[in-house]
Amino acid sequence: MNRDVQEVDFSFVLASSVHDMKNSLGMLLNTLAEVMQQYPPQNNEHAKSYAVLEYEAARINSELIQLLSLYRLDHDQVRADIDECMVVDVLSEQVARNHGLLQARQLELVLQCDESLSGYFDSDLVGGVINNILVNCARYSRHKLILSAQQTAEGLCITIEDDGPGYPQDMLNASTFAETRANFSSGRPHLGLMFANKVALMHCNKAQQGFIRLTNDSPLGGGCFRLYLP
Amino acid sequence: MAENPYATLHALIVDDFESFRITLSKMLQEFGIGTVDSVASSNDALRYCNSKLYDVILCDQNLGKGQTGQQILEVLRHKPHLNSDSLFVLVSAESNKSIIMAAYDYEPDAYLTKPITGQILGQRLERLFKQRMALAPIYKAMKAKDVNSAIRLCEAEIAAANRYTSSCQKMLGRMLLQIGDLEKADALYRNILDVRQLDWAMLGMAQTKKMQGDFLSAQQWLEEIIQFNPLCLKAYDVLADIMAERSDYQGQQQVLQNAVDISPLSILRQQELGDVSFKNNDLLGAANAYRKAVKIGENSCHDNIKFHESFAHAGIQLAKLDKNLASTVLRDALKVVAEIPLRFGKTNSIKINALLLESQLCVASGEARRAEEALLSAQKIIGADSSVATVDIRIELVRALRELGDRSESDKIIAELLNEYDGDEDQLQKIDCLLDEPCSAKNKALVAQINKDGIAFYEAKDFGRAVDCFTRALQDFPQHIGLRLNLVQALMGNFKQEPEKLTLLTAIQQMMDHIRKIIPDSHTQLQRFRQLEELSRGIVASATSAQ
Repeated sequence: MNRDVQEVDFSFVLASSVHDMKNSLGMLLNTLAEVMQQYPPQNNEHAKSYAVLEYEAARINSELIQLLSLYRLDHDQVRADIDECMVVDVLSEQVARNHGLLQARQLELVLQCDESLSGYFDSDLVGGVINNILVNCARYSRHKLILSAQQTAEGLCITIEDDGPGYPQDMLNASTFAETRANFSSGRPHLGLMFANKVALMHCNKAQQGFIRLTNDSPLGGGCFRLYLP
Repeated sequence: MAENPYATLHALIVDDFESFRITLSKMLQEFGIGTVDSVASSNDALRYCNSKLYDVILCDQNLGKGQTGQQILEVLRHKPHLNSDSLFVLVSAESNKSIIMAAYDYEPDAYLTKPITGQILGQRLERLFKQRMALAPIYKAMKAKDVNSAIRLCEAEIAAANRYTSSCQKMLGRMLLQIGDLEKADALYRNILDVRQLDWAMLGMAQTKKMQGDFLSAQQWLEEIIQFNPLCLKAYDVLADIMAERSDYQGQQQVLQNAVDISPLSILRQQELGDVSFKNNDLLGAANAYRKAVKIGENSCHDNIKFHESFAHAGIQLAKLDKNLASTVLRDALKVVAEIPLRFGKTNSIKINALLLESQLCVASGEARRAEEALLSAQKIIGADSSVATVDIRIELVRALRELGDRSESDKIIAELLNEYDGDEDQLQKIDCLLDEPCSAKNKALVAQINKDGIAFYEAKDFGRAVDCFTRALQDFPQHIGLRLNLVQALMGNFKQEPEKLTLLTAIQQMMDHIRKIIPDSHTQLQRFRQLEELSRGIVASATSAQ
């Protein structure tokens, strides 16, 4: 085999094509909005089909954003821009982002956060993490989700709980989610968790570093994701 | 039903997709905004903004052709503008905002990533309007330039420890630096940094230290910011300023170069890099930076004819050193110069200047006939309208005449200039760039100082700094034979110390070639020139035989 071909940086090729796909998807979403504008749904069936189209396109979009973010994180192109943020603002923005999805799935989301709670973190990166986990939970959850935040000894803790089947055992055991290879072999690379883990690690304060925890001890009966930001 | 608080507000949507404009417009109306306009292009956006006051502008970053959303924001905020204080929300499909933000000095009030839902938009706008209301007294005082009141109000807001604390701390820090209350600024940033090492507070602290004259501490803060956040371009700017204040111009150029490598889209930085590289006699570096500045300038309110002309000058001078290296620069510069009248207005003086530059560029690229034609066209316009023959134009005319070898005409114009402006210090300072020995008091003193400093370095065998010192003077006094001969001697000393640096050898040869072209037969330093020529031949010969 030709050596040059082997030396092509595949992750770069992937990242570039992801970028193109994202642009195409943007056009697709625009056109979809246009179609919906010109041909408003005539009945419930129509409305449902539109909702599915919109939801799936949005999901591909968030998946692509995540891929691109992971690539950038891996290539040192992203830095956490840490500043003081109002936690409730960041959480409610992600709730708003997923309003349609939650409605379509008839899920109730409870937001529990002190209005005056502030924290030091990159609101875009952390917002992206919460969005990914929410979208994921929405798929497994039955009726209810709780998104909450509080100050703990280990820093600000953002928690997402659901009433689904909980996280599988292999995920609970994983100490980090950086080992793509191992996870690829088991079928699912858990990109969302890899991303969450990387973002957590980017948040440092003095000797403390951020981390994530997965458990199945939610009072709702399902999985529980925790993001700690020192 | 509660009264709609937004009914009297006006909003503008800027997006090149019609479906997006319709969707956003609907969202804004559902939110309660009374009047919503929408446009598809940056030109229309600015047209609307020039004639109507908007409370909020929702602008897409990527508008296809023309300016970007950030560049529109720059126009609105750069100078006092009808819409300087409007809320500006930048919308983009790019999820990583630092990639877009890094190049610009003005931050939008909010940044939203597509896809946008009605909920997200509503939430964000409500928050922005609430903040506007809560901090209105501070904005009002700032607008009225009543800084002391604004500072007091900020301090009160910070003491209340609410959701606006962080914004108020940032504003307060900027104002304290602005009025030079360094003690208070120092205390403010120190308090914040005691809790958390935030970039903006570290930057504020660095600025405070710089203004206190403590360059070393300032530099340490800045290097720490850059180490952890190489995208914090403001840190590079402050660092470059410090280098300049310490007369470390090579260092200044390097820092600016690092900054534009990270974010090439910043026009002001490219312009500054061009100028400092030019001063450092790094003509290729200068040409590259000016080329980019001209390119970005197409859509920027910071575009300036000066940098288009400097690009040409860098090319003309580079050609004297290295024809091969200069060839692409000359080609691009000819295009740029041809476009100057289209871009900056077809007044006579702009046309003449462009023709004179074209003439010099043509000489440099070996097109003597075209060079003569351009010069002739310029002279014709001057002949028909003598009022345009300002000092600057005549200086450029002298340069063009010299390039074409017309010594008698150029000497005649210089003599006229010196006669006309005898005793006019300001004009004489300009004319000095054409002379061997400066005639203005300021430049006489400057050359004396440069010689004094350079010779001191030379005698202390610090040849590197002696070279820097004389090099720095080349652009201001390109005809000064004495300075150039001093530079050659410093270069020779430097080469003796570091014989592995073959670039020094090239520099010596280039400099000698240049002097040979400009030195008159009657020059007082002709004897010294001949001796140095002899010496340099010897050095070159022994260096090549050693290889």
